[in-house]
Amino acid sequence: MKILLIEDDSQTSVYVATGLREQGHEVDHSATGQDGLALASRGGYHVMVIDRMLPGVDGLTIVKKVRAAGIKVPALLLTTLGGINDRVEGLEAGADDYLTKPFALAELLARVNALARRLPLPEEEMLLRVGNLELNRIERTVTRAGESIELQPQEFRLLEYLMRNAGQVVTRTMLLQNVWDFHFDPRTTVVETHISRLRAKIDRDFDEELIHTVRGSGYFLGISK
Amino acid sequence: MAYPNNFLKSTSFRLLAWYAAVFVSSVAVLLLIVYWTTLASLDQQLSESVERETDVLGELYLTRGAESTVRAIQLRLADLRPPRRYYLLQDAAGKRIAGNLPPMTPREGEMVLPVSSLFKDRRPGPEEAVEAYPVVAMGRRLENGVFLLVGENRYRAVKAREAILQAFGWGILITVLLAAGGGAALGAGFLRRIEAINRTTRSIMDGDLSERVPTRGGEDEMDQLAINLNAMLDRIQGLMEGLKRVSDDIAHDLRTPLSRLRHRLEAARAKSGPDGERVFEQCILELDAILATFSALLRIAQIESGARRAAFSDVSLGGILGTVSEAYTAVAEDQDQKLEVRVERDFSISGDRELLTQMIANLVENAIRHCPAGVRISVSVGQDASAPVLSITDTGPGIPAAEREKVFQRFYRLETSRTTPGSGLGLALVKAVADLHGASVELSDNRPGLCVNIRFRADS
Repeated sequence: MKILLIEDDSQTSVYVATGLREQGHEVDHSATGQDGLALASRGGYHVMVIDRMLPGVDGLTIVKKVRAAGIKVPALLLTTLGGINDRVEGLEAGADDYLTKPFALAELLARVNALARRLPLPEEEMLLRVGNLELNRIERTVTRAGESIELQPQEFRLLEYLMRNAGQVVTRTMLLQNVWDFHFDPRTTVVETHISRLRAKIDRDFDEELIHTVRGSGYFLGISK
Repeated sequence: MAYPNNFLKSTSFRLLAWYAAVFVSSVAVLLLIVYWTTLASLDQQLSESVERETDVLGELYLTRGAESTVRAIQLRLADLRPPRRYYLLQDAAGKRIAGNLPPMTPREGEMVLPVSSLFKDRRPGPEEAVEAYPVVAMGRRLENGVFLLVGENRYRAVKAREAILQAFGWGILITVLLAAGGGAALGAGFLRRIEAINRTTRSIMDGDLSERVPTRGGEDEMDQLAINLNAMLDRIQGLMEGLKRVSDDIAHDLRTPLSRLRHRLEAARAKSGPDGERVFEQCILELDAILATFSALLRIAQIESGARRAAFSDVSLGGILGTVSEAYTAVAEDQDQKLEVRVERDFSISGDRELLTQMIANLVENAIRHCPAGVRISVSVGQDASAPVLSITDTGPGIPAAEREKVFQRFYRLETSRTTPGSGLGLALVKAVADLHGASVELSDNRPGLCVNIRFRADS
């Protein structure tokens, strides 16, 4: 995957670029807003990772200009302030996701992968299928190996999100933001509790586990290799 | 203009009342002086006029004799214009020779005759109203026991008193009207300037620190007050900006090196062996806790700055309660606690969904984390005097009354909960979010347990 990284802090950019390259991605790095905007406008990237605070042209402006030029490449904004308005402003400018510094590399990788996957997947796919697990988004039913499974609405949303990102790591924060719409860090085991309940329903009575814990990163739904 | 609810209690009304009272009493004093001097001067004129007439008639009697005097008196009595004059000429035997008064016991000098003594022989009819006034008279003994009495009634003085009293009435009425009008105008001007100050302070409390009290460029006390207030506001704004700058600087200057530290620890963890990995893992966890405290502090500071108000939209309190309870019911169940939600009536308020969600989640998490197994946690939205109230109650250990105010302070933690992990910022954030929405947070005893009531304004 070809990724554009616009980040002025050299240590952060080395850290991020190295991490992405280790995952087999191709990374173009730019340390200023102007250069970054020029590269982004040329196109050809799968994902853009843009720091919000940049000398010269700032991250928000880059996203706005790129979107105005009709380029739909998914953009991930990196914010420093932990600012409560940053998320809304970023999304309004046209960014697809945001990540507050400091972040774990695993979190960034998971989000970049999720953004890259977003394009080819039709938003309104009716039936999600992983192995013998099927989820019908219209009828809101779940079956595994033909057996019907009863889920609470919250568990259904959680499974739906995991299945849409099947085969990829999703972090705890991604689940909180996308399943519960929580944009803060809870001090109780909200995610863990629901994952374990979902596991009990999806995996317990079957030979093969579909929901896996990735230590230090998050969860992943799929057939383990 | 927004008058205070009770006009009678307003400064403007008190000012007006004082203004009217001072004005009316000064006019009353003035009129009283006019009254006394006028009446005294009229009385003196009357005395002088009666004395002069007595002199003239006495002289006439002595020089020309009784005949001429009787004629003179009859001529004078033919004149019926007010003020009515009274004459009596009686002989030594007390028999009336001339005049229009009944005979009387001779008495020298000035006297006042009441109306009743004037007409012993007849009563004054309505057409004789002009005679119904007391008479100032002067008696004089002439030669051979002849007695002369000349009198004039007090018609003029009484009429003058009536006129003055009427003027007095009108004067007071006009004064009251003028005083009320002047006072109201003065009060309205005063109140308008006070209201301008109130409006400014309100919008400053709502987070707009750039507002200033308008001044007229004059040198009066109100302008001085406005100038001093503005100077104070400049200083507060400077301090606030300084505070914000400091927190922004902390955010940028400290979080960046901490971020790098975290990156390096992660890189080191990947390269270390299994033993080292656990140590690095713990270091990263500790660092994340520091960063989380940091984020929470910055978040509270940003909420308190009020800037978030610009993005308020209509949010349903019942909806947020639903979201939060869906997330936490299972968490509570895993600890053998029971979480219930009750929406008596849903309210839609103008607010920030993200922050309200975090506020309610914080309170529910507090209950879950600080209560033992078996408790019942209840979250509800209801109304109190048509204003929305959010309640989060539990049947756990509660908070001692003496500590209930302190728990909203940053980093304050109860003795009993020092061992539970946490930053001590959860309730400070709850308070900041409530303040942002103009709501109050009250902690009370749930007997047993804690009851948290968040009261919103009726119009929010």
